[in-house]
Amino acid sequence: MDNLINFLTAGILAAAPLLFGVLGEILAERSGNLNLGVEGMMFMGGIAGIVGIYYYEKAGGTNPYVALIIGLVCSLACAGLGALIFSVLTITLRANQNVTGLALTMFGTGFGNYFGEAIGNADPSGFLSVSTAVKGIFNSPVFPQPLVELPIVGKLLFSHNFMVYLAVILAVVMAFFLGRTRAGLNLRAVGESPATADAAGINVPKYRYLATCLGGAMTGLGGLYLVMNAGAGVGGAWVHNCISGYGWLAVALVIFAVWSPKRAILCSLIFGGLACMRYYYPISFIPSSIYDIVPYIVTAVVLVFVSLKHNRSNQPPESLGLSYFREER
Amino acid sequence: MKKRILALLMAGVMVMGLAACGGTTPEGSQPAGDETETAGIAAADLKIGLILVGEAADAYNKNHIEGMQAACEKLGLDYDSQVVVKANIGEDSTCADAIGELIDAGCQAIFADSFGHEQYMVEFAPDYPEVQFCHATGFQSASDNLDNTHNYFSKIFEARYLAGIAAGLKTETNKLGYVAAKPYAEVISGYTAFYLGAKSVNPDVTMLVNYTNEWSDATKEATNAQALIDQGCDVISQHSDTSAPATTAETNGVFAVGYNDDMIPVAPNSALVSARINWGIYYEYALGCLLSGEAIDQDWCGGYAQGSCYLSDLNDAVIAEGTKEAIEAAAAGISDGSVQVFAGPLHGVDADGNELNLAEGEFYLENEKSSAPSFAFIIDGITVLS
Repeated sequence: MDNLINFLTAGILAAAPLLFGVLGEILAERSGNLNLGVEGMMFMGGIAGIVGIYYYEKAGGTNPYVALIIGLVCSLACAGLGALIFSVLTITLRANQNVTGLALTMFGTGFGNYFGEAIGNADPSGFLSVSTAVKGIFNSPVFPQPLVELPIVGKLLFSHNFMVYLAVILAVVMAFFLGRTRAGLNLRAVGESPATADAAGINVPKYRYLATCLGGAMTGLGGLYLVMNAGAGVGGAWVHNCISGYGWLAVALVIFAVWSPKRAILCSLIFGGLACMRYYYPISFIPSSIYDIVPYIVTAVVLVFVSLKHNRSNQPPESLGLSYFREER
Repeated sequence: MKKRILALLMAGVMVMGLAACGGTTPEGSQPAGDETETAGIAAADLKIGLILVGEAADAYNKNHIEGMQAACEKLGLDYDSQVVVKANIGEDSTCADAIGELIDAGCQAIFADSFGHEQYMVEFAPDYPEVQFCHATGFQSASDNLDNTHNYFSKIFEARYLAGIAAGLKTETNKLGYVAAKPYAEVISGYTAFYLGAKSVNPDVTMLVNYTNEWSDATKEATNAQALIDQGCDVISQHSDTSAPATTAETNGVFAVGYNDDMIPVAPNSALVSARINWGIYYEYALGCLLSGEAIDQDWCGGYAQGSCYLSDLNDAVIAEGTKEAIEAAAAGISDGSVQVFAGPLHGVDADGNELNLAEGEFYLENEKSSAPSFAFIIDGITVLS
């Protein structure tokens, strides 16, 4: 029983960074922008967050809450900037979204590793790392101790750090926004048929810019999680290549969740669980590499089913991946 | 027009980012001078190639660079102009390209630091008898009938044994956890030594091992360490490249024994000590041979006594009482040969089902045949989970 609870808890910890990535990407893809730069934006968000905190502490700052806010703001801003580059290239200049997204991934990876290494090497300790107090803020449970100590549910529901709950809240808010608000409806219209939306008086570039940049910023939080949190991430000290494929996993997850923020919660839990399952329930005759490819196999299977079923509500946004040329209507 | 300029600018930003992530390759400009095999190479004419498997800033590769720098300094060589570093060379055909480029650049000796580089070294060696090919962690030199291939390694298991003492004294659950890279002899030999060190001071201790199947994958190492901690391990050690196991231990309030790098800066409340390799001892020896004209050993393995492997500073605030004394006593024993790491009574089974059964007084002599570790038995007390 203990092992099961530990496994589920570890799965939740591994799911949170995925959930940020998936939500960000869903927002962007719902506007019709297929941004394959998730991995790159995660790198950008992660490095900017830890660098912000690092310099705040270097400058003599000791308040961990201020450090936390600096980390969050830097992370959001830098990943959002990555998404802005993507937006300018694909929305205003109408560059190919796939190519631009891949370039953004390469750019972000290099960006993160370059600054991570340069700053780490310049530090006398050889590491780009933050103080124990800040690590504590990112990693300690938000709920009071008595709740955390409840049997079973305490560890499962109340023992997590604030980022986990933030991700879930974001998912719920986004589900409400997309499904229940006028702006959400407009956004979906832009993703389905920008020409129709345009004719209805919706500002297509504005929606696409906002959705992509906000989505990118959200994705950056996933990167920050991987850099600052332990369990799934590297716990407050930059490591070369520390995002290691989580961004791609998030892209795959968007399909698995069929572009629904609510389903994304469950789907990232499944993927998060798969990421750590073999350490808790090892099956000796299954090679560990099988566990690594399962998420992608599942994604492929879901894609096949989605295209076979032709269920109207479970389809990718109609104009996903296409630039909008007003003149070509 | 404006849009085009903007596009160019954006593309430029990305290209710069890409360029920035490439490794540094300091290139010397002068060609190699005359070389005469027997009399050695004049210090000013010596040119050395160093092939690194990853980023120059990774702990493992950084240790090689620092070793080479120290050796150069001791021998009066100029590292910046006489050593050509090729970083980010995978265990694939890029390694062959790198070797070719280093030979073209006039290097008289080429050093490579990753296991998978060896096949490419052996491929080139017969065609370039005047170039010395030195390979860390490899095993083929002793048997390949080539005079110009060499293997080198450190008896890191000796340092791991000593680091294990710190873990054995610190653990309260008597359960150690080990984040292991791959199920190779190099890794198994290392964690067995670590466990035996812990057991030498704490007979009740047991150990769980989880493989990540990657030399360096931060998030996998973190998940791996978290799983070990969840299963009751309260000291985590590692044979993997990143600091993630140490930071995971710190966040969970347990302790860590590192490898390759001092982990105190990233885990000040949890890092006990790290087992490290000083490659400089070998580099000084090998470069010295080149200068004096002596032949380099086919197979070289330096031990704790020579300083080829060592322990980083103990974290005095965290270690258990008596750790320092216990380690010093064992270190003296290892140096004078009275302490054997793989000593009986010892029972284990390897992957092929072969059994090892050592009685009291017997011991397994590691590195007897090659500098690459050979101990691959899973001994009693160690449980491999996945």
